[in-house]
Amino acid sequence: MYDFYLPDVYPYLHKLPAALWVTIEISILATLLSSIMGVFLAIMRRSDSKVLRGVSTTYVEVIRNMPLVVLLYLIFLGLPAFGIVFSGYVSGLIALTLNSAAFMTEIFRAGLIAVPSGQFEAAQSQGMSRVTVYRYVILPQVLRTSYAPYGNQVIGVVMGSSIMMIATIEEVTAWMYNTGAVTYRYFEVFVVAGIVYLIVCQMANVARIMIGKALFKSAAAGGKW
Amino acid sequence: MILIEYGGALLRGLGITLWVSCLALILAAVVGALIGIARTSKFMSLRVAATAYTEFFRSLPTLVMLFFVFYGLTAAFNINLSPFVAATIALGLEGSALMSEVVRGGLQSVGKGQKEAALSSGMPVWQVELYVVWPQAIRVMLPPAVGVYVSTLKGSALASSIGFVELMQTGLLVRERVQNDYDGFTVLIAVAVIYTIVNYAISQAGAHIERKSNYAQ
Repeated sequence: MYDFYLPDVYPYLHKLPAALWVTIEISILATLLSSIMGVFLAIMRRSDSKVLRGVSTTYVEVIRNMPLVVLLYLIFLGLPAFGIVFSGYVSGLIALTLNSAAFMTEIFRAGLIAVPSGQFEAAQSQGMSRVTVYRYVILPQVLRTSYAPYGNQVIGVVMGSSIMMIATIEEVTAWMYNTGAVTYRYFEVFVVAGIVYLIVCQMANVARIMIGKALFKSAAAGGKW
Repeated sequence: MILIEYGGALLRGLGITLWVSCLALILAAVVGALIGIARTSKFMSLRVAATAYTEFFRSLPTLVMLFFVFYGLTAAFNINLSPFVAATIALGLEGSALMSEVVRGGLQSVGKGQKEAALSSGMPVWQVELYVVWPQAIRVMLPPAVGVYVSTLKGSALASSIGFVELMQTGLLVRERVQNDYDGFTVLIAVAVIYTIVNYAISQAGAHIERKSNYAQ
């Protein structure tokens, strides 16, 4: 029977917080950037221009069907052929952002569809500008429908950030792999890394629920959103 | 032309990718069905254990699972797993968590009243499940199951990092072999295009099934 021996891993635990921070930092950055991209692409999807709609649809379909790691290799190994060289960190961030943006677009688009188009017309007929309509009529409702799938996507970004190790970045998966390689304690490092990921994901879940409660209670009470 | 020279190798890689993700999906379907049934069980302990399983595997990146099966399990049980077997198990376990959600959703979509009605008309439990619940549940499960297949297929690209020669790894090997940087880029683009087309086709087939089953209802 295998003899589970965690102490072999202890000397390497001090590197874990830094690795965890990389995972969290890149996830937050990619989430923020891809949310912004997603909002624009989702609005493009509803535009009157056929070209803009086509660009947005093509983007979503191509990126959604391409594995994240393929995108990363294209940016990290492929682009240098044209003299475009990004560091491992930036390559990973770009790949993660481009990938997540496609899913964000779908989430926001579903939120937009859920708002009846009559509301848009009604608000515009009141003389509101496009921006005002989006800000005060559409957005608060989209936020509400998109909120739960958005939370899932944030966790998806955390999962996706594990491919950063391919771009030679020291995050949690890389820590697990490297520590396993020197100690041969692959089972133990997996348990440690698994617990770390589990805690991060569950914390994101709890945060989602709590923020959701705060946000949407105030909406019911006539708050801003 | 680089693609004419290596196109055959890439297509062989695609074949291996499809094969390994098919096997992984079968594993995922079997394990996922068991977990999904456990999640709708009337025993609290079974439900909790099944939910814990789903939550645990859903919170693990595919890459972590691959390393765990390929390096961790082999070390722990002193066995030898080929990259192919390791990739199948890792992707299957990842998929089983998603599948269990699909199965649970499908089972719960069948109204409780139907089950009660069938039981009260004297059908034994296995008949109720086989003739009443599952035929309806499977119809609901099919479209999201196609989604699980697509995500398994995408995940299989990560198996390149444990040295499994599927489509992605074939692309990387070819890229190393060609001298010219532009040719290397062409190969990577070709790999990306193949993945995109295949996944798009499968997703469209899934959407078609969904439309059809909606129409049938």
